[in-house]
Amino acid sequence: MKTITIDPITRLEGHGKISIFLDGKGDVENAYLQIPELRGFERFAQGRRAEDMPQITSRICGVCPVAHHFAATKALDAAFNVDPPSAAKKLRELMYSGYYIYDHILHFYFLGGPDFVVGPDAPAAKRNVLGVIEKAGLEIGKEVIKHRAYGQKITAILGGKATHPVCGLPGGVSKGLNKDEVKDIKDMTKSCINFAQFSLKLFNDIVLQNKVYVDLILSDPYQLKTYNMGLVDKNNKTNFYDGKIRVTDQQGKEKVKFDVKDYTKYVAEHVEEWSYIKFPYLKSVGWNGFKDGKDSGIYRVGPLGRLNASEGMATPLADKEYKKMFETLGGKAINSTLAFHWARLIELLYATERAMELVNDPEITSTKIRNPVGEPGEGIGVTEAARGTLIHHYKLDKKGLIDKANLIVATTNNSGAINMSIRDAAMGIIKKGKVNDGLLNMVEMAFRAYDPCFACATHTLPGGMPLEVNIYDNNKKLYKTMRQNL
Amino acid sequence: MKTIILGVGNKILGDDGVGIHVTDELKKHIKDPNITIDDAVTGGMNLLELLLGYDKAIIVDAVKTNEGEVGEVKRIPLDNFSTMHSCNPHDVSLTEAIEIAKKMGEEKIPQEIIIIGIIMKEIPCEFKEKLSKRIEAAVPKAVEMTLNEIKKDIKISI
Repeated sequence: MKTITIDPITRLEGHGKISIFLDGKGDVENAYLQIPELRGFERFAQGRRAEDMPQITSRICGVCPVAHHFAATKALDAAFNVDPPSAAKKLRELMYSGYYIYDHILHFYFLGGPDFVVGPDAPAAKRNVLGVIEKAGLEIGKEVIKHRAYGQKITAILGGKATHPVCGLPGGVSKGLNKDEVKDIKDMTKSCINFAQFSLKLFNDIVLQNKVYVDLILSDPYQLKTYNMGLVDKNNKTNFYDGKIRVTDQQGKEKVKFDVKDYTKYVAEHVEEWSYIKFPYLKSVGWNGFKDGKDSGIYRVGPLGRLNASEGMATPLADKEYKKMFETLGGKAINSTLAFHWARLIELLYATERAMELVNDPEITSTKIRNPVGEPGEGIGVTEAARGTLIHHYKLDKKGLIDKANLIVATTNNSGAINMSIRDAAMGIIKKGKVNDGLLNMVEMAFRAYDPCFACATHTLPGGMPLEVNIYDNNKKLYKTMRQNL
Repeated sequence: MKTIILGVGNKILGDDGVGIHVTDELKKHIKDPNITIDDAVTGGMNLLELLLGYDKAIIVDAVKTNEGEVGEVKRIPLDNFSTMHSCNPHDVSLTEAIEIAKKMGEEKIPQEIIIIGIIMKEIPCEFKEKLSKRIEAAVPKAVEMTLNEIKKDIKISI
């Protein structure tokens, strides 16, 4: 068997490593993304004070500190058997909206968007945010930077440092909002709503008006008919902070809907020996290997997963865009991996509108922001991280120390689907052992859509975008290496 | 002149957090209103934002490279630091972030950015707070080199 290894992946730090296995004819048999999952969290957490978990887990990853912070805080609400006051929930959700604003802007303009806005065939050196600015104009660049910073500021006003939230406590939050802060957040949010609308217009003008791109979105290598998962409110509209977990099938029909406390009844994890990452699947369907379709329990989370799993957005402008996306791409469910980018922009608009609703709520300046906690026990918390459903599960001892801790992170939920997307993209481009330069980009586009979260890593020298492709012959001997920046 | 010393890394990922161990130590030595000492589990755009408005920035961080020995401490001017790293897979690298910011007409980028890099060969993947022996042994050297950086520019009693 021939093995092609791409390592590491452009723009993805961690140790993401892709191995592509060819069959005897030199066609793609399988592809795997190996992510060295951070190990030992349970042991690390054991014996620590439960109320430290929101701070500790927000350090797990420099990308999603806010998502971890609140998944942990909500798990503690449950573990200490306390329901936070309504104002505290609103403050948490407002902060959460700020996180979505900066995170989705960053992904679209800096990471995923360049493939579209600059073009998938553009040279790699142009497919970055500077390429976007070159095409869309310098003024746009300034707006991107400004609104990303607004998202950060909103988060920081509510939570302390944006990269280190400290506000979540079991039963509520540590800090409320004063009138000046409310005004600041309103002004910034208003500007963010406009910017989100502008971003959707940009996507419309540059991507949707270009048949080549629409064809690419709808092309076979990027279709994956999995189940979809996301949090929904009582009207089955997408919510990032709270609600029930809803799973829909390949036609968009509800498969199951459950409280996160019951997640182990619905979701199981498959293990492969080549990866530390587990592969979650729907228990009722079962694990049937790396396949899509109704007989495979693999599901997707993240922007497209969430929008497929819901029946719309709870705010008017975003809901209009939601309907437009499903009409344009042929109804439910949308199976195109590249539609993640579109879904992400619709979510950006929702986050800005939702932030405005919350900051306009008279209760947002309430000082009743914490309820007393009960006796320690077991608790499970869920949030929608920008890249998908995130679950924290803690068991506390009688003193309120952590006895057991388990996390299911978004990228883990998507791990089965990411592997299939990489495989399918590679299949489209590797024929009879022939590999051309387009491979790396097509494969990257396939998984970049998911915005997978790899471990925080140390600086890597030398820089640039190191990329290595190793091709092995049938005897697993290396006969060719393709490299850049190494 | 305003200087920021920033420890970058993740303190709950063993050696990855060495930069913060160094800045924790520096805080004991430096009390000067013109020098800010902080830490960050971040990179790229977020990291750049933390540096804006200072004349000089010193970033203390773990650096993975094939050159040198584990635990060696190197002074790397940013111009020579063409890292793709951002500590954050969803972000651009610091050098890219600076390039972008310059294009945008950002005027608050520090004149000088120095990296004090502690060399390692493996990226830690296991949760723990302790440093490995060779990396722990590098902390005093990194502290000394960082102090030398600020002594050059500012007359302070340390």
